[in-house]
Amino acid sequence: MAAPFIEMRDITKLFAKVVANRRVNLSIGRGEVVALLGENGAGKSTIMKVLYGLYHADSGTILVEGERARIESPKDAMSLGIAMIQQHFSLVGPHTVVENIVLGNVRGIIDARACEGKVRDLAGRYGFDIDPRAIVRELPVGSQQKVEILKALYQDARLIIMDEPTAVLTPQESESLMGFVRAYAEAGNSVVFITHKLKEVMEVADRIVVMRSGEIHGERKREETDERELSSLMIGHELPPLPPSSPAAEGAPVALRLELVNARDRRGVVCLRDLSLSIREGEILGVAGVSGNGQDELCEVVCGSRQASSGSVRLGERDLAGVGIRERIELGIGYVPADRQRDGVVMEMSLAENMILKSSFGKVWRRGPFLDLRRIAASARKAIEDYSIKAPGPEALAKGLSGGNQQKLVVAREVEGSRRLIIFNQPTRGLDLGAIDYVHTTILGEKRKGKAVLLVSTELSEIFALSDKIAVMYKGAIMGIFPKAELSMERIGLLMAGYSGVGA
Amino acid sequence: MKARFLDLLVSVAAAVFLGLAASAAIMLFLGKDPLSAFGLLASSLIRDKYTFADIFVKAAPLILTALAFAVPYKASLFNIGAQGQFYVGALVASAVSLAVGGRLPGVLGQAVALLAAAAAGGLWGSFVGFAKARFKANEFLISMMSTYVALAIMNFFLRTSLMEAKHEYPQTDSFDQGVWLPLIVGDTRLHAGFALAVLIAIAIWLVIYRTPFGYRVRVVGYNADAARLAGIDSKRTYVATFFIAGALAAAAGFVETNGVQHMLVQGFNPGLGSEGIGIAILANANPIGIVFASILFGALKGGGVIMGQMSGIPASIIEIMEGCVMIFVILSYFARSIVERRREKRELQRRMPA
Repeated sequence: MAAPFIEMRDITKLFAKVVANRRVNLSIGRGEVVALLGENGAGKSTIMKVLYGLYHADSGTILVEGERARIESPKDAMSLGIAMIQQHFSLVGPHTVVENIVLGNVRGIIDARACEGKVRDLAGRYGFDIDPRAIVRELPVGSQQKVEILKALYQDARLIIMDEPTAVLTPQESESLMGFVRAYAEAGNSVVFITHKLKEVMEVADRIVVMRSGEIHGERKREETDERELSSLMIGHELPPLPPSSPAAEGAPVALRLELVNARDRRGVVCLRDLSLSIREGEILGVAGVSGNGQDELCEVVCGSRQASSGSVRLGERDLAGVGIRERIELGIGYVPADRQRDGVVMEMSLAENMILKSSFGKVWRRGPFLDLRRIAASARKAIEDYSIKAPGPEALAKGLSGGNQQKLVVAREVEGSRRLIIFNQPTRGLDLGAIDYVHTTILGEKRKGKAVLLVSTELSEIFALSDKIAVMYKGAIMGIFPKAELSMERIGLLMAGYSGVGA
Repeated sequence: MKARFLDLLVSVAAAVFLGLAASAAIMLFLGKDPLSAFGLLASSLIRDKYTFADIFVKAAPLILTALAFAVPYKASLFNIGAQGQFYVGALVASAVSLAVGGRLPGVLGQAVALLAAAAAGGLWGSFVGFAKARFKANEFLISMMSTYVALAIMNFFLRTSLMEAKHEYPQTDSFDQGVWLPLIVGDTRLHAGFALAVLIAIAIWLVIYRTPFGYRVRVVGYNADAARLAGIDSKRTYVATFFIAGALAAAAGFVETNGVQHMLVQGFNPGLGSEGIGIAILANANPIGIVFASILFGALKGGGVIMGQMSGIPASIIEIMEGCVMIFVILSYFARSIVERRREKRELQRRMPA
């Protein structure tokens, strides 16, 4: 029997505080699509970064076609035909597609026409509709990903590793990506698909490798398994279903109302167009859309970090024009930002210090002129318990927590600090299933308490699971607001892509 | 925690040793015997009370200018203008001392001089913070250039209204003895300014680590984006931290004029600002660490003068020593974090079942 294309034996990788991979054995055959399934922090990306030469294993060997290979850097990996597409693309925005693709693979004088021809050729082979001369930053995310794929193909990659490739795509774009994966594998190449989405796995993978806390916790052929089994392999137990969402009170007073709001970004480009919506107390409005279509700006206009150029934002009866962020916090608006590490957490500070981030002005945490450290620690200890944050204690630095626990910290703070309205922007991005479940339960709990909830998410399943009403955003405008029951996945997908004229 | 504190002590001691060793190597290049030079340095510093006390006299203004760098640094701002703020403080302290000397009772006169100096220095410094907040100016450059303006203003007054009665040199008359800072150890120059500087360092530590204001300063320093979304006005923080910085450096000016010189001399102590930056970095901007680092630098400064006088080694060798020590202490921070990471990794490996 011929050796598999890639074989990783007994790979162990240690970081300072965690065992990222422990004795991982993994083989990848030719023409095979392997899904690497696992929660965040399970070690999926790490093991692939070892294969791609970005990390160095502390022990273990890698065999390529049965021969021991030394992979010290991505350059070594590429010369063996291994390419990896990172979660965050490594493209040069102002350059053209061709320039990005040949980057690092040309010497001397560049024969632009020949390069362009080759790129056109490759794109044609897989049916990519991409203009090689287009400027990369002007392309939609789905096309940028195709540029990354072309980059790999240009270097004759025989194995493409994709790290969470569908996270930023519309359903239609994902579909086209899956098409490529199948075609590429049929030609005898291999694909490793890193993901935590069960649906994709069942759709595209030949073999599924489940990882949990740095180790392999099972391998299944697609035909021999189902989503249920995979999810229990992934988290070690089955998740209880979400509690059914209580119906929103029909006649409840409106908590948040936006009327014909317009806003511009820093370059003066309109980022919100005539946006109107309202949320009642005890109601969840889900905002769906491909990321970057004005959702962040919508959240900012509500929380006060961006000024609307026209239109009105009202919290209950109060017009929020000219009201600053601090006053809005005091009026009872909570905000769980999408980029928690940038906007929500102070990484170098302790958990306790992070808990008082928005309430340091009040008298609550003071004793005389000083901070009442004992009380702050006690309240942080309570939050750790109430929100089951995994941390050694209130003194633990935020940067030492996992992404999921950082998010729980932010959610805990915002839930405690808000009275009337809470904004969740991508509240479960990058979280593992356990934490996602926890955040979802918390969101439903907030609704039951009578708070208005603005939920922005690119995960349609999340929008459908939690929302009472769903708004779809495209290029800064709302394509429509619908009761949940009236929307299908397909319809919402088209709205997200800007097609509004379909049916009623 | 205890192991890490031990790490800190050991690594800083090792770094100081290595820094001295490196400067010894440089002395060898100069053809001087470093061992006898160091012996001379050590023995002369502890030989008599006066020289020993002078270490603390020299440390006092250093503590304050180092704090003047450290406070904005906590908000991720760079105050390179402590020298100018120091001159503003010295100028105002002198003007007030000359005006009230002999008219107000001693302590009151000193207090008025200190407060006036601190207020003037604070305003001078907050201008930098204001330029940053209002016009997004680069505080590094503005504060640095403001030093030259302050120097020019000081020179102007020393040649005009504040010039000594003899009109010979650009300096003031001697202050009335009532506004001199009292000595705390007899037969030395050690004055109350050192105690004042230590108290101020402790107060700054409390403000930074124990008050809501200091908390917000640190939030702005660590993560300005998160601060903004928490409703914390970083612009106000810029102005406030630079006000405090200016007041601290100005207090150093008061300490020097009223504690040591008892008059204002043109362009005196020109290195205090930059030494303060070095000390603050050396102490990782920790106010308590700054006190100890300032004493170390005070000793080096004092020793340098003596070495220059007695061993024929140029006094500027001390600046090389300061530089070497600083480089090694900063390197020790990285060394320590590497040691810490290795230790954690080993621990992990040990616990990992085979």
